[in-house]
Amino acid sequence: MSQEIEITGLNKSFGQGAAAFHALSAIDLTIATGEFFTLLGPSGCGKTTLLRIIAGFEEPSTGALRINGKEVTGLGPDKRPINTVFQSYALFPHMSVAQNIGFGLKMLRKPKSEIKATVAEMLQLVRMEAMADRLPSEISGGQQQRVALARALAPRPRVLLLDEPLSALDLKLRKEMQSELKRLQTETGITFVFVTHDQEEALTMSDRIAVMSAGEILQLGPPQEIYNAPVNRFVADFIGDTNFLSLRVKAIKAGEAVLELPGGKQASARLPASISPSVGSRVTAVIRPEQAEPTPAGQGEMQAIVESATFFGTDTHLHLLLDDAQGFVLRRQNRPDQPSPAPGTNLGLTFAPGALRVLED
Amino acid sequence: MRGHGWKWLLCTPALIVLVLAASGPLLIVAVYSFLSPGNMGGVVWEFSLEAWFRVFFRRDIFEPDQVAWNTAHLQVFWRSIWLSLQTTFICAFLGFPTAWFIATRPRHTRTIWLFLITIPFWTNLLIRTFAIQEMIRNNGTINAVLIWTGVIDSPIQMMFSEFAVLLGMAYVFLPLMVLPLYAAMEKMDFSLVEAGYDLYASRLNVLWHIILPQVKPGFIAGSILVFIPAIGAYVTPRILGGGRTMMLGNLIALQFGQGRNWPLGAALALLMLVMVVGALIFYLRVVGRSDGVRRG
Repeated sequence: MSQEIEITGLNKSFGQGAAAFHALSAIDLTIATGEFFTLLGPSGCGKTTLLRIIAGFEEPSTGALRINGKEVTGLGPDKRPINTVFQSYALFPHMSVAQNIGFGLKMLRKPKSEIKATVAEMLQLVRMEAMADRLPSEISGGQQQRVALARALAPRPRVLLLDEPLSALDLKLRKEMQSELKRLQTETGITFVFVTHDQEEALTMSDRIAVMSAGEILQLGPPQEIYNAPVNRFVADFIGDTNFLSLRVKAIKAGEAVLELPGGKQASARLPASISPSVGSRVTAVIRPEQAEPTPAGQGEMQAIVESATFFGTDTHLHLLLDDAQGFVLRRQNRPDQPSPAPGTNLGLTFAPGALRVLED
Repeated sequence: MRGHGWKWLLCTPALIVLVLAASGPLLIVAVYSFLSPGNMGGVVWEFSLEAWFRVFFRRDIFEPDQVAWNTAHLQVFWRSIWLSLQTTFICAFLGFPTAWFIATRPRHTRTIWLFLITIPFWTNLLIRTFAIQEMIRNNGTINAVLIWTGVIDSPIQMMFSEFAVLLGMAYVFLPLMVLPLYAAMEKMDFSLVEAGYDLYASRLNVLWHIILPQVKPGFIAGSILVFIPAIGAYVTPRILGGGRTMMLGNLIALQFGQGRNWPLGAALALLMLVMVVGALIFYLRVVGRSDGVRRG
């Protein structure tokens, strides 16, 4: 696959001298043609700034940005083959839905007949044919979202940037638009760069995710990798739910650490290359709530007592207290023949090899 | 639906002021325009259409039956409309970048700029007008500087011309254009501008297709606020324009003063009212028709 966007050594700071705020530091990133790429992070992590730099609304302080092999730093947003779906949609309130969608093509001086045909095609793509003559104020939020998408897709950009486009929609509509977006991306083959703070949205839609925090990319990879092998505590905490355990190192051999579990049993976990704890010190280890299983009391790796249970429909979260008083959340799928254990019940815990991971703090 | 019957009573103080200060005097003016002039000013209670007739026509002094258009009056009407239109246009042209500048400052400094815009209002209009006179008269500041630097040999005649009146009126009415324009821009969603650039619009296209339609309500309000007082301006044309550039306000004042023809003055004043209301209706029909304003 060819490289659509190449970012090398990109920095961005706002302000001067001591008061300068470093929004992005040393970003290196390549995004492949036709990829659904997501920038994920909490608000203020720099993901929107990075998107605005790609769009051309901001210039990087240092570093290079190439789109389809061509250096674009210094080119305005009107000179880049990129369109944006804005968080607020930014639909032109004085233009009809059709005029909004056709605006980009009109500015590119396409012939009237071509504009008309493309607008009709886009209206069909986002299923808004019946609304062509409405004003943005006369359609619902979800419909405005579709129009914003159609408007950005109409000039057939090489890259579509989406800045938290679903954040204003309610849950059901958001789910609907998630699959809609994925469908549009597959149908058009356009490279999507999607910005979100919603980890679930990122996991379900993306080909690859870049997890960002404080202006840096912490981890870059496919959703499965980000979820199953987070590189540090921040990523593990931000993506999905995780149990953090503070465990003592009993021995170290060949990139693996033997850890002492609460209750005295031992288990081994792979050590990331970045850390080398000494024997006897404590490290942070994680187990995902769904990767541990309950066993009868006395069996399994660890022993625990049920403190409370929270019902979530498809599953129940059991809040447990381990032998050494550390908390642990266990996710258990609900089945009619297996009622969830009552608070006060003693049970054992077991987990598959590989579920226990040591993380950098 | 209880207790709604008496709520209109809350309007009575305002209604009393409106009746006493606006409708009452207007009624008196309307009645006066159909009476005959007194010799020493005032009116004689005798019905007459002479005043309305003389607004448009004049009689030959020696042959009262010979009637001609009153070209002097028509000229004043035309000049008032034309100068007011130009003033409105100049204010819009200068006011737009000013308002844009203020609206794009950081929030806490905008107040300072708005405050600076309103400073001219603190000084009496007469004094400000005399100050302009001081700048542009033959041996005033501008001419003195130009002669001293050797750019010109003899002073440029700027006083007592339509240019002087335009300059004065544009200066006086500029804040009335800037403030509503600023209010419209401040409400504007600036991500629309970014969306425009993103969709390949040039700066000019963004201005024309996106910013102007958004701030149109401000232009409409500003134009009305400038045009209406401009068409009735009195002080500025009187001081800067002299007798050669008389405007409607001066003509009306003349009838109530030296002219000693109150009915004619009253008829002219009513005519001006009709012209302004007519212009307003026409303007709102033509300019205000599009979606931006209808949905405000």
